[in-house]
Amino acid sequence: MGTSRNVERRTILKAAGATAATLGLAATTGCGGDSGTSADGTVTIRYAWWGGEPRTIAIKKAIALFEKKYPKIKIKPEFTDYEAFWEKFQTQASGGNPPDVFQNAVGFLRKYDKRGVLMDLKAQADAGNLNLKNFRNGVLANGQVDGKQIGIPVGANTMALVIDQKAFKKAGVEAKFGWTWNEYFAALQTIQDKSKIAGDTGYFAIMYLYDLYLRQNGKAFFTDSALGFTEADLTQWWEDGYKRVKSGLVADPKKIEQAKPKSGLSAGLAASEFTWDNFSIRYQGEGDSDYGLAPIPTTDGKNTGQYLGSLMLSAFSGTKHPKEVAQFIDFMVHDPEVGKIMGYDRGILATTEQYDAFKPTDPNNKGVAAYEDEVAKAGILGKITPHPSGADVIEAAFLRIGGEVAQGKTKPADAAKALFSEAKAAFAG
Amino acid sequence: MTLVKEAPVRPAKKRSAAPAAGRRGRRRENLAGYLFMSPWIAGFLLLTAGPMIASLYYAFTSYNLFTPPKWVGLDNFTTMFQDPRWQKSVEVTLKYVVVATPLKLLLALGVALLLAQKRRGQALYRAAFYMPSLIGASVSVGFVWRALFSDDAVVDRTQKVFGVDVGGWIGNPDYVLYSLVALSIWQFGAPMVIFLAGLKQVPQELYEAAEMDGAGPLRRFWNITLPMISPVLFFNVLLESIHAFQVFGSAYVVSDTRCGPADATLVYTCYLYQKGFKEAQMGFASAMAWTLVVAVALVTAVLFWSQKKWVHYEEAAK
Repeated sequence: MGTSRNVERRTILKAAGATAATLGLAATTGCGGDSGTSADGTVTIRYAWWGGEPRTIAIKKAIALFEKKYPKIKIKPEFTDYEAFWEKFQTQASGGNPPDVFQNAVGFLRKYDKRGVLMDLKAQADAGNLNLKNFRNGVLANGQVDGKQIGIPVGANTMALVIDQKAFKKAGVEAKFGWTWNEYFAALQTIQDKSKIAGDTGYFAIMYLYDLYLRQNGKAFFTDSALGFTEADLTQWWEDGYKRVKSGLVADPKKIEQAKPKSGLSAGLAASEFTWDNFSIRYQGEGDSDYGLAPIPTTDGKNTGQYLGSLMLSAFSGTKHPKEVAQFIDFMVHDPEVGKIMGYDRGILATTEQYDAFKPTDPNNKGVAAYEDEVAKAGILGKITPHPSGADVIEAAFLRIGGEVAQGKTKPADAAKALFSEAKAAFAG
Repeated sequence: MTLVKEAPVRPAKKRSAAPAAGRRGRRRENLAGYLFMSPWIAGFLLLTAGPMIASLYYAFTSYNLFTPPKWVGLDNFTTMFQDPRWQKSVEVTLKYVVVATPLKLLLALGVALLLAQKRRGQALYRAAFYMPSLIGASVSVGFVWRALFSDDAVVDRTQKVFGVDVGGWIGNPDYVLYSLVALSIWQFGAPMVIFLAGLKQVPQELYEAAEMDGAGPLRRFWNITLPMISPVLFFNVLLESIHAFQVFGSAYVVSDTRCGPADATLVYTCYLYQKGFKEAQMGFASAMAWTLVVAVALVTAVLFWSQKKWVHYEEAAK
């Protein structure tokens, strides 16, 4: 092809124009986020959460209600599943562009407080934009770090044992308050003998359960800045666990892995599974049996080590609309209508207004409520132990390394060593 | 191929100050060229070169995304080489490359040989075999794979018919990597098409001559086809091994975002991703990335060096 020697000036100008346009485009896409105030004074705030579809539908209903009541505030929803949420959040937050309001959990409080991402909501409470009263069972303290209120609980939950009621009945065993670990494992043995299914889905890789076990023995998973147990403690815990996998008391980890995203319990691979009580609602939908909540086994017949954990709402310290953010959080945690819409999806409702407004009618929600009532009545609830910065990374490592032990790929002693070394790096990060 | 001839030099007589005007003209031409290219250049600088340079710098820092990067020299590299999970990721990746690449190429070549012959519905066969490569990178295929290789699923049941019972590959640390290998092999379409093009280039006279000399099909393949397509083979080996080193999507999806169980599918990029985006150790992740770049460059260099021994170009054949 021949080229013209005389390139017209117009061509050059065109090229220049195209370039400028491209660069301009790049520049505009460079600055993300559209939180701001529009000409008519309407404020837009971004609200992000993780969770399944039912939660998303409910939250969107609640948002619609809020926008009706506060016509000058618009809420822009963002939601994903748990894993993706924190990956996205980390990137957004490091770029100074996290959502104005977001769902939070105790494992992330110190991490993001340390990085200056979380707003101390005390000032907004003092200004009258957010009510810090009427929280049940002292759960408000879950959102406090070093005297700051950086999270506002929306619901409270506690660890529980979910059991396959049919399997327990068939074997003639009963789960009762104050039973010991020995009694629990003996019950699992009976189930295995009579029904030919494993007893448990893999208790020893769950960080929050090990925390309870440690608390029963006067320790805890975390101290303010380190692990609250020794390598020898963990080696013992994992050695026992592996023995039970070998003997078939705990389900084959290979099968558990393949059942995902279904849980091992609802897939019929085992008769019981430890988890947070508000998660128990999923089993009925997933599995074919009847599922119920049972008490956590104890060491001394009394202390379960349990406490109320919670999901919370936090706000971005750099938000342009702190007042509106506080008003929104206040609405989400106190408004009775919101309580009715949300139910126990994020745990038993945290404020008295919402708790009184929602009366569960279905057996699942009723079961969760009854369980927490029973736990509260037993008077065994302790205070939540601290979760230092890095707790989230350690929880993932605990699950992964525990899985390696279960698969027989790592010896318990080496596994405990690996966890300690990874924890050290996580605390430093 | 024809040689690219230089554009004819225009007579310089027309203008009196010919050389100067010519230079000015050429400069204007260049300017226009650069202007037209500038969106691409800007994109390259902003989106490729910039981040790469930044990443090279981060590789020598401790950087958690929030606090400014802190210079730590070679610390990331020394920690990395001592990190058992990093070692595991290298081991897993090498295993994957060494097993998946040859198998994939073997299948691609085999099918290309079959499809090179004239037969009815040829276009249909080619399309059908190429199809998996088009959808291969998608996340949905990862999910399909998970479903196929799970406990009591298609693969497991088929195996049991033959008396092999491993109980599904996905949850088994000893097998799960091979489900990824299978996924890679299944996408043999791209190298197959390249092989096909190569096979078409082999002169028919060579085969005719060999046949007259009494060479059987195997001999013809070994002594004619293979040497004649060796440049294409070299190209495919190079491309596919580089590709295999960078495997990520399938490992991430098939093993439920955790690259397990028991780190069995912890391929290099998966660990890199975990370090960077889950644990926020961007310095370490950058160090890993650059180590991979260097490793792949070394492998490429070795392959280029080795081609002298086994790749035959036309000039050499003459």
